[in-house]
Amino acid sequence: MLTAVKNQMRVCILSIKYNMMREMVNKVTFLTNVGFMVLNNASFLVQWVILFRLRGDVGGYTFREIMLLWGLVAASFGLSHILFARVFSLSDLIIGGKLDAYLVQPKNVLASVLTSATDVSAIGDFLYGMGLGLICSRGAGGFFLYLLFTVTGAVVFTAFALLLGSLSFWFVRMDMLQSQMVMGIVSFGTYPDGIFKGVSRFLLYFVIPVGMAVWQPVHLLVSFDAGMFFTVTGYAAFLVVAAVAVFYRGLRRYASGNLMEARM
Amino acid sequence: MQAIKVEDLSKTFRIKRKEKGMRGSVKAIFHPQTEEIHAVNGVSFAVEEGEMLAFIGPNGAGKSTTIKMLTGILYPDGGRVEVLGIDPTKKRRQLAYRIGTVFGQKEQLWTHLTPYDNFRFFGAIYDLSERETEARIAELAERFELGGFIDTPVRNLSLGQRIRCEIVASLIHRPMVLFLDEPTIGLDPVVKENIRELIRQMNREEHTTIFLTSHDVGDIEKLCRRIIIVNDGQIVLDDSVEHLKSHYSEHSLEDIIVEIYKSQEEN
Amino acid sequence: MNRLAKQDGIVRCMPWRKYAVIYRSVLLENLQYAANIAVGFFSYAVFIYTFIMLWNYMYRTPGELIAGYTKEQMIWYVMMTEMIWFGSSAASVAREVSTDIRGGNIAYLMNKPYHYTLYVMAKYTGGWSIRLPMYAVLAVVIGTVLVGPLPRFSLAAVPAMVLCVVLGLTINAVLKMCISLFSFWIEDATPFQWLYDKLLLIVGTMFPVEIFPKTLQPLFKLTPIYTVCYGPAKLIVDFSPEKCVEILAVQAVYLLAGCGLMFLIYGRGVKKLYVNGG
Repeated sequence: MLTAVKNQMRVCILSIKYNMMREMVNKVTFLTNVGFMVLNNASFLVQWVILFRLRGDVGGYTFREIMLLWGLVAASFGLSHILFARVFSLSDLIIGGKLDAYLVQPKNVLASVLTSATDVSAIGDFLYGMGLGLICSRGAGGFFLYLLFTVTGAVVFTAFALLLGSLSFWFVRMDMLQSQMVMGIVSFGTYPDGIFKGVSRFLLYFVIPVGMAVWQPVHLLVSFDAGMFFTVTGYAAFLVVAAVAVFYRGLRRYASGNLMEARM
Repeated sequence: MQAIKVEDLSKTFRIKRKEKGMRGSVKAIFHPQTEEIHAVNGVSFAVEEGEMLAFIGPNGAGKSTTIKMLTGILYPDGGRVEVLGIDPTKKRRQLAYRIGTVFGQKEQLWTHLTPYDNFRFFGAIYDLSERETEARIAELAERFELGGFIDTPVRNLSLGQRIRCEIVASLIHRPMVLFLDEPTIGLDPVVKENIRELIRQMNREEHTTIFLTSHDVGDIEKLCRRIIIVNDGQIVLDDSVEHLKSHYSEHSLEDIIVEIYKSQEEN
Repeated sequence: MNRLAKQDGIVRCMPWRKYAVIYRSVLLENLQYAANIAVGFFSYAVFIYTFIMLWNYMYRTPGELIAGYTKEQMIWYVMMTEMIWFGSSAASVAREVSTDIRGGNIAYLMNKPYHYTLYVMAKYTGGWSIRLPMYAVLAVVIGTVLVGPLPRFSLAAVPAMVLCVVLGLTINAVLKMCISLFSFWIEDATPFQWLYDKLLLIVGTMFPVEIFPKTLQPLFKLTPIYTVCYGPAKLIVDFSPEKCVEILAVQAVYLLAGCGLMFLIYGRGVKKLYVNGG
């Protein structure tokens, strides 16, 4: 059992390493991609500078807190797209019948699929997020907590994408919904929760996991609360279990050939 | 012992149909119509260990569906499959350690890496230790004469060199059955011949069972002693190449196969 | 066979017909994916909803003006710019041209009996002409339900607004195409697409130009922001005939210059391809 896990890890790490090597073949393209993503994110500073010129707080957040929010979204989005980029296009693999290649390998299908691609510009997101974290965190402890939430955030991103992508086993054209919902975390997560009220607030905790991925971690960075800390980490773990279960349910359907329409 | 045993294998797909034009598009949204296709319909055969079998048929005859069921990618709707005594539907991963696959049209290699790095990756996939992997790479590199380009990124290799590497990659773990899907597609005659020789050699020295699909009659003629022709999901011929040729002594194998395909169409 | 021959005849005597055919096939393709378009609505709704929430928070008293805009105008402004952005999806033009050039597909497309740039534009037009009206309906529904109608909105001015929007999104695609055509010379034009998109998104779509510091405003009016997003959206939320004439004039200049530039860059690029063989 332990050696199996060790062997699996060895393959995954090799896979990620090789992905990176592929992207770095052309150094100039690699660096511009990363650099422009940092710039891209930084451009949104304009929006917040403008908004804070109009009012001293936005949704109860100070400028520093907004930056923490933004950084956390960028860093977790980045981390999940660096390591597990393929999960965000899982629908294509499923509908295009491209899981075959992983099924003939004697390794865990899910792990092989997840680590089979990387997204270079995500490195820019990650670096930007780390930069904001370093600038806006309070002390080493604060930054450590920030790193931890970057990881839980990345886990939520990945598991949420896996959950939705796996629905492609049952429904055609889930790719759009998957990317829309995942980007929903980014779209809502880059705004303070104080502006959302009532039903929308509820949806942003229970349908799109923005609350647990971003908002609560930021609140915890501002003032720590052990109970909420365990809720956040527990939620991430729960989402992983649910997503993996749905993926394997779907994989059985894949093998039954019920979605062979497009690929005879 | 039998390497592959297939009994009454069937697989049915449902396919969406769309009528032509604007009206058809609109109609497909409200009334999607489906049609059943019997991709594989009651196929039975057995392959002996160490045998080289050609499994051929016109496009859409059910070849790849059958291969997918033999390798555990697809589950059959009916019938039984056993490969090396293992049921692919139940123990896909266990089977994966013992079979190899080469798809001429699909790349399994990482193109930006050297063949050597690729082989090490496949070694890791099949849980070989560093030492085993190194030894096996050295052995295969010598046999397949990869020495000249084993450290050149795959994307810079010629198609022939690449296919040789694809085959080596699928042999790293000493598979007992090798599934070859159109291995010589797009290659020039000299390279084709070279690949065939290597496959023969593999079969001879490691006693590997070869399950081959190809549209290239040369592949079949030079490699296989037995041929199975499928059409519309059913076996229409299962015979030795030698017998087939003596039966139609006047014709080349190519003509014979074309004749069989045609007579099928007429039915 | 017969039908094909007949069509061929028409193509020869009516050179514009081929673009109509391309347009029609894209329309058909899009209709098939009507469900996908609906999914894209989600993203639009998310943006708009967030902005409604945001401005609800930012405006403290009813009737308050920020940069000369009432809350309703401010939100409608974003709804209109985002409608243009989502409905037109000019990114598809950039993506298509870049992949055609970088993937070498261009060599096959440029020898076809149509002008490559117009072929891409026809496809683009087929795309937005089905998407934009749908987004317009969505915007009107969200606007009337969640924001409230625009003050002083006149139905008589709608044709002028539509014209302005259509010109704006065409100019946008032409400019994006120009940037993509640089792929003939540089390996990847995406960074420049980004810069251009960022300019439009951050400065042009989120806020009206008036919200920025006074010193920057004249500068912004010189950029494509004015013709692509600010102009049409401003016209919709606060119509005046003088402004309409002014914007249309600027758009005409932009369109002519943009198309000229597009043909010029394409011609140069193709020549370069012939010389160097890609």
